[in-house]
Amino acid sequence: MVERKTRTVYDVVCPFCGTLCDDLEVDVSIKENTVVEVRNGCQIGTRKFFSSNPSDHRYTSPLIKEKGTFKEVPWEEAIDKAANILAKATRPLLYGFASTECEAQSKGVELAEILGGVLDNTASVCHGPSLLAIQDVGAPSSTLGEYKNRADLVIFWGSNPVHAHPRHLGRYSDFVRGYFRTDGRNDRFIVVVDPRNTHTAQIADLFIQVNPNEDYELLNAIRATLRGVDIDNEEVAGVPKEKIKELVEIMKKAHFGVIFFGMGLTQSISHHRNVDTAICLVRELNDHTKFLLTPMRGHYNIAGSNQVFAWNTGYAYSIDFSRGYPRYNPGEFSAVDVLLRDEIDASLIVASDPASNFPAGAVKNMFKHPLISIEPHHTPTSVNADIVLPAAFAGIECEGTAYRMDKVPLRLRKVKDAPGQCLTDREILEKLIEKVKELKGE
Amino acid sequence: MTLDNLILLTGRTINQGVALEGGKTTKENVRAAGICTFDRSDFKKLDCLAGTPVKVITDYGEVIVYSTISEEGPHPGIIFIPMGPWANQVVNPDSQSTGTPTFKGMKAKVEVVKNGRVLDALELISKLKEA
Repeated sequence: MVERKTRTVYDVVCPFCGTLCDDLEVDVSIKENTVVEVRNGCQIGTRKFFSSNPSDHRYTSPLIKEKGTFKEVPWEEAIDKAANILAKATRPLLYGFASTECEAQSKGVELAEILGGVLDNTASVCHGPSLLAIQDVGAPSSTLGEYKNRADLVIFWGSNPVHAHPRHLGRYSDFVRGYFRTDGRNDRFIVVVDPRNTHTAQIADLFIQVNPNEDYELLNAIRATLRGVDIDNEEVAGVPKEKIKELVEIMKKAHFGVIFFGMGLTQSISHHRNVDTAICLVRELNDHTKFLLTPMRGHYNIAGSNQVFAWNTGYAYSIDFSRGYPRYNPGEFSAVDVLLRDEIDASLIVASDPASNFPAGAVKNMFKHPLISIEPHHTPTSVNADIVLPAAFAGIECEGTAYRMDKVPLRLRKVKDAPGQCLTDREILEKLIEKVKELKGE
Repeated sequence: MTLDNLILLTGRTINQGVALEGGKTTKENVRAAGICTFDRSDFKKLDCLAGTPVKVITDYGEVIVYSTISEEGPHPGIIFIPMGPWANQVVNPDSQSTGTPTFKGMKAKVEVVKNGRVLDALELISKLKEA
């Protein structure tokens, strides 16, 4: 009999973006315990599976920095030191959690509560404003399957899925054939609103080039036109009045429309007010036809971290436990803001790289204080950390639950074992909780 | 060889996504995210070859990145740096009380620095530790 060299894991959920494609096939070398082939994944997702293989930028044992260089230490010593730092801190920050599974996220909430720290996830720097807007005005939304089967008008506003969610167009929103959209792309009208003629815009039926930071004005001009107001100006936010009228007619005539919105709305001036207005537009469009909207979530389980934080504390992000009970106030307890005010005195970063993704001023303040990183890879955060706790990749090296951008939970699969001494995020956080409890005499 | 009154946007690109999954501390990441893309007409005004280092200056900081011509144009007056350590040296950290910094839409100025050196992610971020 021929000896099998690889085994194939089917229906693997991709742990990269919020699209959470669940049709990947991964070949794993039985002898080497490495990923040798990934089918059906996008360029980025495929790369993530390959990057889980042992390499010179993968951590395989716990590290403590001494005199500027990392030293390999046993797990016990690393956990001891990390727990000591956290237990002694008066205002520790626990941040990240978007690229790990829900069970680990709930352990993060538990640890933050014991420590009386500030707890935040990466929604804080991406769709946090969307959450604020949804809390203000609600959100008419649906699962992605409904859009696939029904939507004949798809609007991408401030979102570039060709780059950020590569398979979204093929699985849910554009090219895919649906139950009532049997001819796929030909049965759909695609609109892109963006300041740049993005690659998504280049394959759209209508591209609306809005001035940067003027989405709020354009959204309100569309709302006014929808109500029958004749706008005084010849153009709003760089878009001619006639084009706004054309878009409104397209929206009204659609059978089932959807707006997918991205960072173009949340990271521009007005932040949550942009999303507020977009939601109000969708609500008003429902006087004419069926219309819904969905945020294009970035990290694969960022929606999950919002869910887990919310069902544990009542709040989705920016949570402070310093009074012993959870308080919520973005702008005050959000990670970037506490760092900019130099409020924290230690940080625990879980499955995230704020040194790369936070503004320079916030990173500078984070580096002033002890930094613990639970991370599988060399990143600017982990390399500058005082303690590195090597983690297994959730969704590749351990199971767990993740929420898709439409808040549908999917079970992540384990395709291979983690290299070296890596533990899962959940196991590491459990060890930290146990030690911190011991130090605090609980 | 200076351009004023530009608007800087930042965001995801597929190359940046692939590079960050492949290793954030690699040269590949520099080539993917340590770049600034210009509209073709703006780039002509800079009078340099694509790939020449440029210094991008905003009210919040400055950073040296490689110049390149945008495939997602025309967008005259707009420059784009993929999200990551380079972009974050020059973004507006103000979150307007939402938690989310204003990563898009900063006023920017660009200077060609032919002999400028584009730092890799670790060099760039480690400077913040030393500061």
